[in-house]
Amino acid sequence: MATAQAQLETKWWSGGKSPFNVEYGKLMMWYFLMSDTFTFGAFLISYGTIRFSQNFWPDPNHVFNAFPFAGHANLPLAFVSLMTFILIISSVTMVLAVHAGHHMDRKGVIKWMIWTILGGFAFLACQAWEWTHLITGEHAVMIDGQIKEIGTTVSMNPWGPAIKGVMHDGHQVYSTGPVAFGGYFFGITGFHGFHVFSGVVINIVMLIMTVNGVFDRKGHYQMIEKAGLYWHFVDLVWVFVFLCFYLI
Amino acid sequence: MSESSLHGHGHEGVVSSHTHEAHDVHHHHHHEESFISKYVFSQDHKMIAKQFLITGMIWAVIGGLFSVLFRLQLGYPDMSFPILEDIFGKWAAGGRISNDFYYALVTMHGTILVFFVLTAGLSGTFANLLIPLQIGARDMASPMLNMLSYWFFFLASIIMFSSLFIQTGPASGGWTIYPPLSALGQATDGSKLGMDFWLVSMAMFIVSSLLGGLNYISTILNMRTKGMSMTRMPLTIWAIFFTAVLGVLSFPVLLSGAILLLFDRNLGTSFYLSEIVVKGEILPNEGGSPILFQHLFWFLGHPEVYIILMPALGMVSEVMSVNSRKPIFGYLAMVGSLFAICILAFLVWAHHMFVTGLNPFLGAFFVLLTLLIAVPSAIKVFNWLTTLWRGNLRFTPAMLFAIGFVSLFISGGLTGIFLGNSTLDLHLHDTYFVVAHFHIVMGVASFFGMFAGVYHWFPKMYGRYLNNNLAYIHFWVTMIGAYLIFWPMHYSGLAGMPRRYTDYSNWHSFNQFAGMSRFISSVAMVVFAVQLLFLFNFFYSIWKGRKVTSTNPWGANTLEWTTPVNPGHGNWPGEIPEVHRWAYDYGKDGREYISQIEPVGANESKH
Amino acid sequence: MDHQSESTEITFHHAPGGDDTVKRIIRTTILLSVITIIELALGFVIYFMHKGENPSHTLILFIKGVIVILSLAKAFYIVSIFMHLGDEIKNLIMTIVVPLALFIWFITAFIWEGSSWLNLRNTDGHSKPNIEKHQAAPEGKKPGGVE
Repeated sequence: MATAQAQLETKWWSGGKSPFNVEYGKLMMWYFLMSDTFTFGAFLISYGTIRFSQNFWPDPNHVFNAFPFAGHANLPLAFVSLMTFILIISSVTMVLAVHAGHHMDRKGVIKWMIWTILGGFAFLACQAWEWTHLITGEHAVMIDGQIKEIGTTVSMNPWGPAIKGVMHDGHQVYSTGPVAFGGYFFGITGFHGFHVFSGVVINIVMLIMTVNGVFDRKGHYQMIEKAGLYWHFVDLVWVFVFLCFYLI
Repeated sequence: MSESSLHGHGHEGVVSSHTHEAHDVHHHHHHEESFISKYVFSQDHKMIAKQFLITGMIWAVIGGLFSVLFRLQLGYPDMSFPILEDIFGKWAAGGRISNDFYYALVTMHGTILVFFVLTAGLSGTFANLLIPLQIGARDMASPMLNMLSYWFFFLASIIMFSSLFIQTGPASGGWTIYPPLSALGQATDGSKLGMDFWLVSMAMFIVSSLLGGLNYISTILNMRTKGMSMTRMPLTIWAIFFTAVLGVLSFPVLLSGAILLLFDRNLGTSFYLSEIVVKGEILPNEGGSPILFQHLFWFLGHPEVYIILMPALGMVSEVMSVNSRKPIFGYLAMVGSLFAICILAFLVWAHHMFVTGLNPFLGAFFVLLTLLIAVPSAIKVFNWLTTLWRGNLRFTPAMLFAIGFVSLFISGGLTGIFLGNSTLDLHLHDTYFVVAHFHIVMGVASFFGMFAGVYHWFPKMYGRYLNNNLAYIHFWVTMIGAYLIFWPMHYSGLAGMPRRYTDYSNWHSFNQFAGMSRFISSVAMVVFAVQLLFLFNFFYSIWKGRKVTSTNPWGANTLEWTTPVNPGHGNWPGEIPEVHRWAYDYGKDGREYISQIEPVGANESKH
Repeated sequence: MDHQSESTEITFHHAPGGDDTVKRIIRTTILLSVITIIELALGFVIYFMHKGENPSHTLILFIKGVIVILSLAKAFYIVSIFMHLGDEIKNLIMTIVVPLALFIWFITAFIWEGSSWLNLRNTDGHSKPNIEKHQAAPEGKKPGGVE
């Protein structure tokens, strides 16, 4: 392995070269992602802190059980699994775009970038549907001795403990749950969705640049690589959002 | 020396030359620079450094003036000053600052000095100026992002400045903007629109600091000239490096906290709010915790004080070694202690919260971690003192400020050990003891580091010297004044005198400090006036100062003194020199100093 | 700020991967999908345990722990294969992975605080959600009283 040899023989920290063998743009992207890790980390950790301070927290299987066009069928986690797979697949198409870029294969890059962008849009559409469903979906809740129908918003949470024996229109009636649930759910998935959206915008810009042959003229597709890092990071964050909100 | 001679070389295409080709290509666009591209939207790191410095100075005058005005109120609570009404209008009706507005002034004083002056103005200036010059690079890794970093800072400045003029006044919840006060507009005027401005301005500031920090880190790692290994870097660069790491990893946490606070304010969420009654109105918010915000805030807030202090630590080390004509004592220990401080900075945030409802058992861990900071701090102090020991000291203004820094760092640092113990903090928290502690160790000390830097590198920035006599007046008055202002505060603090009150005259326990308070206010005015003298010196010397004739006026080893007196964009007219030794070969083998670019001789002794 | 591929920063170029890279990507995709499916299955186990009488909370906690570990494995594969961090030299890997250790104390201290608030909520009368007592004497609490 010539590469391994070169690694061993190089004095990486002696100056005049990158100690990491990467150009500064990629290095900055990595460190930016680390910084963003702390942004998301702070969000998720404060979510965890508030959740640990509550006596009751809604069961995600109970909250996220709807699927488009499936009516009132009880399908826990089905829709979010779909969203997760969409994001994983769009991450795969992004790797393939980067791979095509390494081979200076413009057509390949264009093809895979288009798929990635479509995946991004599909994810955003799913998220829009899920938000709409949560906000507009009305659930019978006992508030101050009266039964009201409310949806999930940043200041209302119908997913409290069930009140045994109280029914309304054939549905179980619940008490209100911790309002922080909606706040963190919409706050964090919104912030993640914002990242997905900006990732899609970046990818569209990259696609246009590829179509115009900018990277061919430059002689490398490093910009695609950097955009790819950002896109994978979005996927990575979703792994943890998925974990914290839907699974545990 | 001119731009064109730069492009005459640089491009020879020799593979072994360590010029950054990319930048040279870039520089071709700069043959004829317009006023706009040279002074306003400049991508030259030296110009951006000057932009940061001068913007920081403007902010320092505003923030300092605020402190003088509210010191006036504190020192003379029974008098009225018509001038205050002239300046502040309804906020100081009858010539007395209203209680609400006193909070606003204190908040703005803290915010401005901490973020805009001592973060942007200090590390923005010297990171930009020194990184490329001292590691041997043509410019920052990305001059474009570097420029944006300044302009985001400018935008943040504009937003914060305009918040001073809105009808309900600027934010007034303290620079730490603790909820629920800051989250509820109905609680006080200062939590209305002014607080939104504060938060948005801070978000812009975080973007600026992120762009800057990423650039500093990747430049230091990737752009060092040949031979400039990490352990040959001057301590200034090490300090700035760790500062940037702190900023990149801790500012995003404040961003998260600020975003959640914005939601609480405007969208009806309950992250920080629970069971609150405001003016008889019961709020529906439930289940949040105000202490959560304090955790998020101080996760940044504590690293922030090291973001302020660390560049000063680095510059003081450099200035002190140059002017002692001795190698810095314990170079690796200095680097190691900077590293230790950097790590510990992330682990100790809750020591600001011992009495706010933090779990006391958890607090014990924070006490332990906090007290550990004394170890690297002590290492640094001893190394500075041993660097001075038997040196050929040259008392240039920069050197005086560096020595003054060490004095302040000791006296301010020792009180930190008091406050780091949660049991003592029960008594001392929120008293003038805390005010004295952090003003000395973080405020004045960092300012001293900044002054040392300005006096030392002014010749590099403008090709002229600052006036020495004015500089000596500046030093002695500031040094003595700082102690006269903050030393007495320790006593009133130990007696339990709380912060954040405008008038103590009806308070029998603290009546005795009225005279002291008047004294502090008078000294504060004198010290502020002397800072204006420094500003006069600065701007006068830019145009009229004594010209620098030699490229290396201080006889220093580092690379910035191998550039021409007024380096163009690209710093070195020819190739970037190669580095053969560390930065601290002073007084070696009978020679006063040996520049980093001089190859190691055959018979040279080891250091 | 773009730069040329001949930048002196780079000491050697990684040879662009061939078909085996694509194979590796596909293998990773399958692996990630399988892990996700296992996670979902465990999620369902928790769901049905909740439905049953007297669910064992220790067991649920254990299953949740397994899910967390599986998610960390997913994160590892995304970073190492998709983001190509595994292909970089060790220096870069270390500078990115080591600072993440800060999260250990970040998470521990915060969660610890959260549990102690729960403790206060359930034991300390002042922290119980009992707003009625304020209704009687609203002036009892100063506006925005917490400093």
